[in-house]
Amino acid sequence: MDRRDFLSTTALCGLGLAFGGPLTSLAAYAAPRAAPPRAWEDAYRQEFLDTRGDAQGFAFHCSNCQGNCAWRVFAKDGRVTREEQAAAYPPLNPRIPDANPRGCNKGTVHSKEMYQGDRLLHPMKRVGARGEGKWRRIAWDEALAEIAAGTLDTVTRHGLGALMVYCGTGILSQGRRAGPLRLGSLLGAQRLYPASAVGDMFTGASLAYGLATVGHSLDAWFECDTILLWGINPLVTRIPDAHYITEARYNGANIFAISPDYSPSAKASTQWVAVKPGTDAYLAMSLLHVLLRDGHVDETFVREQTDLPFLVRLDTGDLLRHRDLRQGGKDDLYYAWDETTGKPAPMPGTPGHFKKTLRLGEIRPALSGRFEVQGLDGKMIPVSTVFDLVRAEAAKYPPEETQKVTGVHPELVLRMAADLAKAKKAIINIGFSLHKYVSGTMTTWAAALACALTGHAGERGGIDTENNWSLGGIGPLSSPKPARFASGFLSEWLNGGMQETMRRHYPDAHLRATAGYDSTDVERLTQERLERGNSYFGKPKTLLLFADNMFRRNKSESHHREALLKDLDLFVAVNHRMDSTALWADIVLPATSHYEAWDIRGELGYHRFCNVTVPPANLKRVGEVRSEWEICLGLAKSISAEAARQGIEAIPDPDFLTQQGDKAAPVMRDMKRLPDDYTMEGKLLNDADVVNWLMANVPQIKPWTSEDAKKNGFVVLNQEAGFTSPLYANRPYNSFERNVYLRQPYKTASGRQQFFIDHPVFKKIGWRVPTAIGPLRPPSFPFAFYTPHTRWGIHSQWRANAQLLRLQRGEPYIWLNPATAKDRGVAEDDRVRVFNDIGAFRARAKLMAAVPPGCVVTDHAWEPFMFEGRAGKNSLVAGMMSLVELVDGWGHLSFDPNWDGNMIAHESSVDFEKVVS
Amino acid sequence: MTRQLAMVIDLNKCIGCQTCTLACKSQWTDRKGREFMYWNHVETRPGQGYPKGWEEAGGGWDGDVLKPGRLPRLREDYGIPASFNYEQALFHENAPALKSEQPMQWGPNWDEDQGAGEYPNGYFFYLPRLCNHCTNPACRAACPRQAIYKREEDGIVLVDQERCRGYRYCVAACPYKKIYFNPLAGKAEKCIFCYPRVEKGVPQACAFQCVGRARHVAFRDDREGAIWKLVEEWKVALPLKAGFGTQPNVFYVPPLSPPTFDAEGKPTQVPRIPDAYLEGLFGPAVHEVLARLNAEIARKQAGQTSPLLDMLIAFRHGNMFRLDRLGEKGNAA
Repeated sequence: MDRRDFLSTTALCGLGLAFGGPLTSLAAYAAPRAAPPRAWEDAYRQEFLDTRGDAQGFAFHCSNCQGNCAWRVFAKDGRVTREEQAAAYPPLNPRIPDANPRGCNKGTVHSKEMYQGDRLLHPMKRVGARGEGKWRRIAWDEALAEIAAGTLDTVTRHGLGALMVYCGTGILSQGRRAGPLRLGSLLGAQRLYPASAVGDMFTGASLAYGLATVGHSLDAWFECDTILLWGINPLVTRIPDAHYITEARYNGANIFAISPDYSPSAKASTQWVAVKPGTDAYLAMSLLHVLLRDGHVDETFVREQTDLPFLVRLDTGDLLRHRDLRQGGKDDLYYAWDETTGKPAPMPGTPGHFKKTLRLGEIRPALSGRFEVQGLDGKMIPVSTVFDLVRAEAAKYPPEETQKVTGVHPELVLRMAADLAKAKKAIINIGFSLHKYVSGTMTTWAAALACALTGHAGERGGIDTENNWSLGGIGPLSSPKPARFASGFLSEWLNGGMQETMRRHYPDAHLRATAGYDSTDVERLTQERLERGNSYFGKPKTLLLFADNMFRRNKSESHHREALLKDLDLFVAVNHRMDSTALWADIVLPATSHYEAWDIRGELGYHRFCNVTVPPANLKRVGEVRSEWEICLGLAKSISAEAARQGIEAIPDPDFLTQQGDKAAPVMRDMKRLPDDYTMEGKLLNDADVVNWLMANVPQIKPWTSEDAKKNGFVVLNQEAGFTSPLYANRPYNSFERNVYLRQPYKTASGRQQFFIDHPVFKKIGWRVPTAIGPLRPPSFPFAFYTPHTRWGIHSQWRANAQLLRLQRGEPYIWLNPATAKDRGVAEDDRVRVFNDIGAFRARAKLMAAVPPGCVVTDHAWEPFMFEGRAGKNSLVAGMMSLVELVDGWGHLSFDPNWDGNMIAHESSVDFEKVVS
Repeated sequence: MTRQLAMVIDLNKCIGCQTCTLACKSQWTDRKGREFMYWNHVETRPGQGYPKGWEEAGGGWDGDVLKPGRLPRLREDYGIPASFNYEQALFHENAPALKSEQPMQWGPNWDEDQGAGEYPNGYFFYLPRLCNHCTNPACRAACPRQAIYKREEDGIVLVDQERCRGYRYCVAACPYKKIYFNPLAGKAEKCIFCYPRVEKGVPQACAFQCVGRARHVAFRDDREGAIWKLVEEWKVALPLKAGFGTQPNVFYVPPLSPPTFDAEGKPTQVPRIPDAYLEGLFGPAVHEVLARLNAEIARKQAGQTSPLLDMLIAFRHGNMFRLDRLGEKGNAA
């Protein structure tokens, strides 16, 4: 029944009579009937059976929430009736709460979304201008042939790198993602690094560990004495795991929620730390200040596991290296001052040392002191330690001073420091919001140092950005040939012409004062990156985009969109629904959604379960949708056919070389064999084949088989799944056990947890050691603007879901502190215009005592098409990058999945006014 | 002798995610004229709740006499379920923004996270609400058709859909405003405690699907069950608005909260949810309950055991539900 029917029915009943008004009850009937007839109860029983349907499958909702929860999916007559969490994960051990019933509000309504009016049902081609909304329904064959022609035109005229085949974060599962990855890899297309494109790189962790994603399975929260939730709101954004927070609290944990707003997670904490937006790095430095001032230092741990005892030349400001002492010496051998011998000692475990262990043997490295060592020319070089430099930097940030910036009372800093120091197990959780400030790198690096000083690693906890599992064996499926792997943030920056909005919004003098660099520095380093040529492949001419809401996600919304579209000859969007990006496509292709195709996902490290989607038997797919695997197979066939028509058998790709006999030869992009290559000679024809292949080939899934997965909807990963520790069957996962207990070196330039970077850029702007910077927002507009993750969507997925919008207010709103709103004459539910020199959007106002004064906040990822003029909230986010995230080709700071940068989202300032209509 | 199936909802574990709300919706109320109803919903407190202003809408008992009540209005108090212009907004030229065909005026979660107080000492918490399956239901007493009854075997309160004539006296009489008038069927409907699930050994959708693991279900006389332990033995779960006189069988573990800040930004010892506010909802016993919870947490911090907290932690999801009518062993659904 739609709303119109509903209203007309109520009208028939007489709205005034049915609803509203006083109705005084008659006198109570004293004696209810003795035995009411109950046969009617069968009606609801039948309804229940109807929702259980006639077929049952399993699913997870493959998206960028990273929740990965097993659901049972019920269907009747080929249509999904309902979904319910499987709630069947086995417990780990009797002292840890089990993981059931993993799931959330979004998962509960996915079947509604399957049949909702924004679903893409047929291939469509635009017949008007881009974005105009004039579409013509076309057949699959016509669509595939047209895309093939455009693709070949691009690669023959502009080169292979001018083709981008990119699967965004709408699909992160190993099954459905494999199609676009494999096709792009065979064709030599460019693709972005998604974690960087969406601003989810934890570069602060990368500095310290050489790894961006580190941490725990989240059941580890339950074991903690102390938890710092820093810029993370798990009660809203990690709904399936949030119970481990509330249960940890009952288990006696101290939980500090560090957040500018009184979030639901702050509500569940033992102590809210109300930090002013963007000042977290100051808070982190004050925490280090107290730890160092009050002697909360686990000296045994830091001497062995960190670079804190490493010697630093006081003349050059660089680490003391072997080459400083010996002609032709090594660049990657570092020293500490050995207190036993009174001499500098080369540190085992540094990359240039022959001992590949962190074990110190007889060496007792000094943590502090000034020493002299004899240099190449016989002159004495004055040196000190990283520890002393770190301490000197932290000394600048006593909590009594930082309170003026952060608003956090010194008492709270003292408590956090003391609790960290005394906790047997402590976790500092770093949320995805921190690195959307330029200071996030420093905040996280400092937090990592706080964990190091207090010895929190391995079983004692430590930093948690996001744990991922190591799934091997996938390469032959997803990367059969070398592909053009592009930096996410850098490509979007350049493709979207973002330097223009950076220059417009941020005065250089202001940038230099708050960040230590300016827009010219950014442009110079960007240029250097371009010259290296390893992480940017130019603006695409043909873009085959899968499940990526690029025009919702990118900052300076319309500016970015126009810059990218301007040079695009063919833009194809593949999605299960019409999103704010597909609206601008030349061709849209309808894909299966979460229940309609087989899929598998196991890389996500919040828990150890690898989920499998098994569609209910005889499920009817909606419209003409096809799975991503089938779509890419169709593309492979049509591209091959078009190439044959044009007489192209293969295109050599000399950017990548293979060995042929004793000679190097260019990789061939074989057009003739493309369908055979794509299907592994006919072995992988559909999404079910892909899932079976992954089940058989990923060693971390052994000994489980496809049959096990089909029976339960999931399998349990084995011990091999951990990157830096074994994944023990009966206890939560912790990072770095191999480093802490087996003394294996870390993946950093120093081989240790690293808190000193002597790269020239770091030196130039004074970031050699953790320090405080920010916020960068310019004073030209009075309000800070930040946009935390929402409870009501996974980014833009589910954001337009009718069931969920009914549990909000049906349209976008911003959160305002009541006093701030009053100053501008804005009242609850008023319409407001939010604006700055980049753009504007309109929304309703919702007054929230939880929100700090002086801020405009909106939970993010409303679809731009939900706003007037399709101008969403990113319309007024200016371009901004962190200078240090542009560094490349230096030690562990070299472009790869553990080192790429972020789109900065929360450093713009705005104004707002009431809309009088 | 009627046995009573009952629920305890732990407000310290409710995360406000509304998974229960939507689980209930897809199980029962997304069809047949029930679209505007939320048999189970979660409202932010303090707030006007759902239906809007239900606390002031009357109903319940004054001694043996039913108090007068008001029927909530569809548009203003429940909210008409928004429906959206997908086709027009996404597949046509000159498209307007995607929006509800009529702007929402209210909804089941309208005042989400708003609460009360002033920054930085604002506060809020979540209150899931469903039919309380009361021991002394005002709705039953108010029905001139005697269409409402409590089931002998589990105390579930039902509106006989064949007998009901849609007079709506029950809607006015329920002080929690958890009975709804179905304009399509012309009958009153409400939460049925998922009896078709429960009869098959499957817990209620709201409880079983609660991701926060906040809901315990058992018979009140089951000495091993969470209801007996939390309500009778440890006395940490309280009914909502007991003064309404209906004797609810849904109980709540009241919410703890982090301390306020003083004028200098220093944390105090005072929880930010005022005790008086909680007393208004859960009665004077709430002070003792909060003190007990804090004392038990202190025991945990000191390395001692706390069977009470272990039960609230709920190490096994499956053990939170004891539907077996003999009350001897947990349900194995």
